Amino acid sequence: MAGAITFFPTKAARVRRATAESPFVKVILIGILVVFFGLFLILPLVTVFYEAFSQGAVVFFKSFDDRATLHAIWLTLVTAAIAVPANTVFGVAAAWALTRFHFRGRSILISLIDLPLWVSPVIGGLIYVLVFGRQGWLGPWLQQNDIQIIFALPGIVLATTFVTFPFVARGLIPLMQAQGHKEEEAAMTLGANGWQIFWRVTVPKIKWGLIYGIILCNARAMGEFGAVSVVSGHIRNKTNTMPLHIEILYNEYQFAAAFAVASLLSVLALVTLVIKTYAEWQAERQLRAAAESGE
Amino acid sequence: MSIKIRNISKTFGKFAALNDVSFDVGSGELVALLGPSGSGKTTLLRVTAGLEFAEEGKIFYGEKDVTDRSAYQRKAGFVFQHYALFQHLNIFDNVAFGLRVRKRSERPSESQIRARVEQLLDTVQLREFAKRVPAQLSGGQRQRIAFARALAIEPEVLLLDEPFGALDAKVRKELRHWLRNFHDTTHLTSVFVTHDQEEAFEVADRVVIIDKGVVQQIGTPAEVREHPANRFVEEFLDLDHDPVPA
Repeated sequence: MAGAITFFPTKAARVRRATAESPFVKVILIGILVVFFGLFLILPLVTVFYEAFSQGAVVFFKSFDDRATLHAIWLTLVTAAIAVPANTVFGVAAAWALTRFHFRGRSILISLIDLPLWVSPVIGGLIYVLVFGRQGWLGPWLQQNDIQIIFALPGIVLATTFVTFPFVARGLIPLMQAQGHKEEEAAMTLGANGWQIFWRVTVPKIKWGLIYGIILCNARAMGEFGAVSVVSGHIRNKTNTMPLHIEILYNEYQFAAAFAVASLLSVLALVTLVIKTYAEWQAERQLRAAAESGE
Repeated sequence: MSIKIRNISKTFGKFAALNDVSFDVGSGELVALLGPSGSGKTTLLRVTAGLEFAEEGKIFYGEKDVTDRSAYQRKAGFVFQHYALFQHLNIFDNVAFGLRVRKRSERPSESQIRARVEQLLDTVQLREFAKRVPAQLSGGQRQRIAFARALAIEPEVLLLDEPFGALDAKVRKELRHWLRNFHDTTHLTSVFVTHDQEEAFEVADRVVIIDKGVVQQIGTPAEVREHPANRFVEEFLDLDHDPVPA
């Protein structure tokens, strides 16, 4: 789930104010935070790796020597390889249009970009079943033309794309808003065409915000369970992605294998976290640079 | 090359930013667009550059009608108030930008680009800063680089939008003299926007005074001071209280 996502949080002031808490309250609050972090985040993460290696490294690596598992990993990679570039293009286009132009319905559009964050992923999957499924609006036509979307790769990609849609755009909009478009105008007066302006001026300007969005988008695309679960049909060796496969292994009491695959997803999460933090830091620098050169 | 501005009108929603504006800038002339903020002078400059388009009227560069051409086809040298340098490129690459985006057939070789950029950096006396990035330069230095970058494409007209507006008083004075000297040696047709009458009178050959999107008066600094055309010019130039000796 992607409940709370903060984009480039601003740093709070360090000065102690009259309204600041007493040291006693501070200790209690920090204590609660540490316990919460330990119990709900660190411990489960450690458990994943602990369980994955509980029967030794041999069993751990053997878990990956399995056709269904390898297929699930492959399917997850293919899905992300389609959904992430698609959402990168959508996201950049959306952020560009929403920050460059002021038109009627602009704020509604900005809200709509967030829609996938509010609705349950299950609904994200269900809408595609209702449109493309056997009983769906386009179902009969799709069947006549022998096109399968639900319970196949296209459905999985659609559901994943829906769920991960906001990440790139949301990362870029505040950045591009702060930067304005004076540099693009300068490039234009120097004779650069639209394509050159985009690649030589805009992309370098938004680079870190873009990387930040892509990396979050990718992590979510590979980890998505709910929406994909609805459209996939859980057909082993066919429509099982990594998260779905983990559930199946777990339900079949193959705990070590389940946790082994889960540990792979966890490593992805940790790598994402590192890159995300770095990109966030760089994006903040770009934002500051924009603020300095702006006024 | 001369610039002809003919019956330009532009509105933003219901607000008339420019109302039937016409005047000529002679070849080799340095003209100031002077007016209070919100008078439409910057909009007029942007329309002249092709960064914005007017609903009515025409723009000519020399005899060429450029009304429907966008900025990247007009290739007027443009200098922005806040420099608008490319933050991610060093000074050399900033100045070289306009040459490097040319079509392959028109693009100079890399060694020609190098020679041209170094010559321009000499002109603005910042050659030793070639490898720095804009953030490492002072405001005055950045604006000089912005000049060099605009000149790199060998524009036939130079348009400057409050070029000294973001600088402190001392640097502003220096750059003002520099601009006047530069113009006296190159005679590049130039238009600059300012709200500072002292600046306009000191630098420009002629002054175009604008208010509420309408040209109030056009003339040399002496003409405008001696014979203000109307009440607005008189008050804007504060001629009642503080007569400037001609």
